[in-house]
Amino acid sequence: MTIARIEKLDRLIEASVSAREAQTGSLLRQSLRRLKRSPMAVTGGVIVGLFVVVAVLGPFIAPYDPTAQTWGKEVFLNRNIFPGPRAENWFGLDHLGRDMFSRMIVGARQTLLVGIVATLIGFVAGAALGGVAAAAGTFGGRWGERVEAVIMRTVDVALAIPMLLLALSVAALLGPSLSTVMIAVGVAQIPIFARLLRGSMLAQAHSDYVLAAISLGVPKGRIVVSHILPNSLGPVIVQATLVLATAIIEAAALSYLGLGNPDPGSPEWGTMLADAQRFLSGAPQLAIYPAVGIIVTALGFTLLGEAMRESLDPRLRRQE
Amino acid sequence: MALLEVEDLRVAFGNSTAVDGVSFTVEEGKIVGLVGESGCGKSVTSLAVMGLLPKGRGPKRSKQPVQVAAAEPAGGVVKAAVAAPQAVPATGGRSRGGGADVSGRAVFDGTDLLTLTPSAMRRRRGKDIAMVFQDPLSSLNPVVPVGRQITEVLERHRGLKGAKANQEAANLLDRVGIPDPTRRLKEYPHQLSGGMRQRVLIAIAVACAPRLLIADEPTTALDVTIQAQILELLKDLVDHEGTALLMITHDLGVVAGMCDSVNVLYSGRVVESAPVRELFARPTHPYTIGLLGSIPKLDLPIHEPLTPIRGSIADVIRWRDGCAFAPRCDRVAEACVEGEPALVGSLHAHRCVLAEEIA
Amino acid sequence: MSTEPQDEAPQAQSPDAGPALLEVEDLKVHFPIRRGVVVERTVGAVRAVDGVGLKVPQGGTYGLVGESGCGKTTFGRAVLRLEEPTAGRVTLGGDDVTALKGEKLRKFRSRMQMVFQDPLGSLNPRHNVDMLLSEPLKVHGVGSKEERRKLAIETLDAVGLPKTVLERFPHEFSGGQRQRLGIARALMLRPDLIVCDEPVSALDVSIQAQVMNLLDELQDEFGLTYLVIAHDLAVVRHLSDRVGVMYLGKLVEEADSESIYENPQHPYTKALLSAVPQPDPEKEATRERIILKGDLPSPANPPSGCRFRTRCPWAQDICAEVEPEWRETEAGHKVACHFDL
Repeated sequence: MTIARIEKLDRLIEASVSAREAQTGSLLRQSLRRLKRSPMAVTGGVIVGLFVVVAVLGPFIAPYDPTAQTWGKEVFLNRNIFPGPRAENWFGLDHLGRDMFSRMIVGARQTLLVGIVATLIGFVAGAALGGVAAAAGTFGGRWGERVEAVIMRTVDVALAIPMLLLALSVAALLGPSLSTVMIAVGVAQIPIFARLLRGSMLAQAHSDYVLAAISLGVPKGRIVVSHILPNSLGPVIVQATLVLATAIIEAAALSYLGLGNPDPGSPEWGTMLADAQRFLSGAPQLAIYPAVGIIVTALGFTLLGEAMRESLDPRLRRQE
Repeated sequence: MALLEVEDLRVAFGNSTAVDGVSFTVEEGKIVGLVGESGCGKSVTSLAVMGLLPKGRGPKRSKQPVQVAAAEPAGGVVKAAVAAPQAVPATGGRSRGGGADVSGRAVFDGTDLLTLTPSAMRRRRGKDIAMVFQDPLSSLNPVVPVGRQITEVLERHRGLKGAKANQEAANLLDRVGIPDPTRRLKEYPHQLSGGMRQRVLIAIAVACAPRLLIADEPTTALDVTIQAQILELLKDLVDHEGTALLMITHDLGVVAGMCDSVNVLYSGRVVESAPVRELFARPTHPYTIGLLGSIPKLDLPIHEPLTPIRGSIADVIRWRDGCAFAPRCDRVAEACVEGEPALVGSLHAHRCVLAEEIA
Repeated sequence: MSTEPQDEAPQAQSPDAGPALLEVEDLKVHFPIRRGVVVERTVGAVRAVDGVGLKVPQGGTYGLVGESGCGKTTFGRAVLRLEEPTAGRVTLGGDDVTALKGEKLRKFRSRMQMVFQDPLGSLNPRHNVDMLLSEPLKVHGVGSKEERRKLAIETLDAVGLPKTVLERFPHEFSGGQRQRLGIARALMLRPDLIVCDEPVSALDVSIQAQVMNLLDELQDEFGLTYLVIAHDLAVVRHLSDRVGVMYLGKLVEEADSESIYENPQHPYTKALLSAVPQPDPEKEATRERIILKGDLPSPANPPSGCRFRTRCPWAQDICAEVEPEWRETEAGHKVACHFDL
């Protein structure tokens, strides 16, 4: 049957199609749009954004040299005299007469660096373990299942050890330094990533499109790399954001326990917190600044991570 | 007088309209069908009538559905409401974040349900009007024995307690054709088959002898032989209890066997409405004709091409610009895009400007 | 087991004219039920498919119908070796599919393809149409990049999609278009056999008809042989030349499409047919319904004798004791029932 062409109808269809396209777009863009509407994501994003800017620009925007004991004469440890916030030193002075504000700003960089590197270590090693386990278990036949079992049981054991204890033992092995903290915290995150990626991959492995790939004769290796893995990474990346928050806190804890950077000259929030402990009664503010810094930053990453998780997973989306 | 009279019902999610002025009536003891394909607004219509849609950014009554679910952790029928918000994105508009803006009237026995407060609506729901959903598993609480889920409704709306409630629950299960009801009362939903679960849901729905039962695709998730059982059961309820049934389905076969009258929905509006025999004998709207031509029938020659409707529901224009079905219609003419087509006729009504030529 | 394809499959007892392209003999798929925490032991088996044999001639369509849990999907997957058969033999064009292993099996898959029920779920959300369609060619080493693209465009045209969709992703399509993509992908390697597992049940009525017509057209155009698996008797009947009715892992009746509708002989087929609602109020009013009691028994522990007896309105004592034989009641019409109903 020939169908009558009606110009006005064509115009109307075009209008409705373009109106619809404006609303959809790629899956990523839809997620981003949802993210922008979420107050949680916006709050988290602003905190994280500020933190990153400060961390990157730290030395350039700090009003003073964070290591210079410029006001050393104004601090009297034995008499509990620590000048508090004032016009020239917004956050006051620390026990050596250094500007707290500058130390906080410059310290942000170390904190961020530790967080990111530790998370990366955990992510890469954990994802590798989880990925190998899932791939072996799914396609490796009987031997693969054994490989999977060995990896996953080891991971389970590691997971049973309290994270801080695990990090502490690694740190004890390597001796105190900044890289010790990074490695220790990173290693402690490995089991989380391994389990998460494996679970996510196994779920994908049972999906129809993987069955379709098998039925098309796609080789197993290619199925894992080009089908299962890309579709499994979403939740792991979200988890990375959340782990970043934990890593920052853990790193601070290790530094606080004296396993961090032994160089007293380079400020780091965890070490600052440890230093402030001795003067807690006379100058609690010295502990409060880095503590609040750590908490707010961790909160920012957590909010962002949770919001991302919600926006990526339509099942978790809430009605408002 | 009609038991339920829906007039010019409109439901919008943000700026996308799911239901665009739907009117129909349900008489006592009759089965009325709302037929259409996914996205036509049939489920949203029923949820709106039941007051189960998340409220939009109207001045008051925000966050209502979540509260409904939280305030009534009991009551099977109401619990089914928990599933409703999930049903909305699937069937309704794509706009998220906001709820639904509902307008129009849904007069049930003299009261406009849309004006009731949430608590007044809650008292009616389950008692006067009950609903059966498509997916019986997600409509039942997985961690509560089915017996308890039934007695909760009995307690709430009929004040029955203890052994009396249990006895009545067993009677209900027996009535919906579940063998060995006393044993079944203690079982959990996952221990029952799909057909059994749907029977339990129906038992919960009819527990308080509602005057109107709304069944939203009640058999879509079930096998044909089980579907036949459930349809028989629903029909039996209508015949013996005089319950009115609003049947929401995509299956014209189910409609032909069950309904007294039918409303065919397309893109949020009724495009044709008629008594069932009349509709199947003389379908008037090209969409209805297309639907009928799309169905493979058991008595047609095999391999003979069906006559489907071209395109998909995504090929649509706004009703105010013309006929929303025009982009898919084989008979489309200039007249179809000259403004809004009206619903013409009373007994057999249709919304097609070319109806005269087609007939 | 021999890894070489059998050169000549026995086709002696085929009543149908013409050689069968697909031949399935006594196929069984049992899933072991394992118990135990430390040491797993097998305590039984779910007999999803328990001895099903059928033949599909070149260019023909065999429709397998049954309700959920009857094993029809497992059967389809076992035919394609997506599920490991416990016993039985599948031959495609004389080659023993059940004997293939590893790389040989992977290569052989280009000759048999599948169309899935859920068009969205069976398409990788991160691959655009170009990637979806060219991947099967790539992994079988067919053609250069340009040739693959050309073939993709040709195939898209055959399923009624414009070449402009090549850069788009599955979520940007409607349900019907996605199923067209799924079909196009299955066609890319120009297979002999396509197993369609519920090809239209996830689609709206008006779209179902489009896809069913498309399947019919493609069969003629590409000389395809179909095994159509569905729960909807009307859909199966419309697409198929021959229909098999499956119940609890076994065939209960098999006949030509016309004959199964006009002269159903197994009580289960009769019940199924009588349960399908017809879009015609006159017929609905007079339709004789056979309402089956109860639900499907567990395939882990099927009833003795005839598997259908627990729900059969005509069941007698003999049905519990003796398993009915698979007998031919008239030319080309087979049924597994003790009685001539």
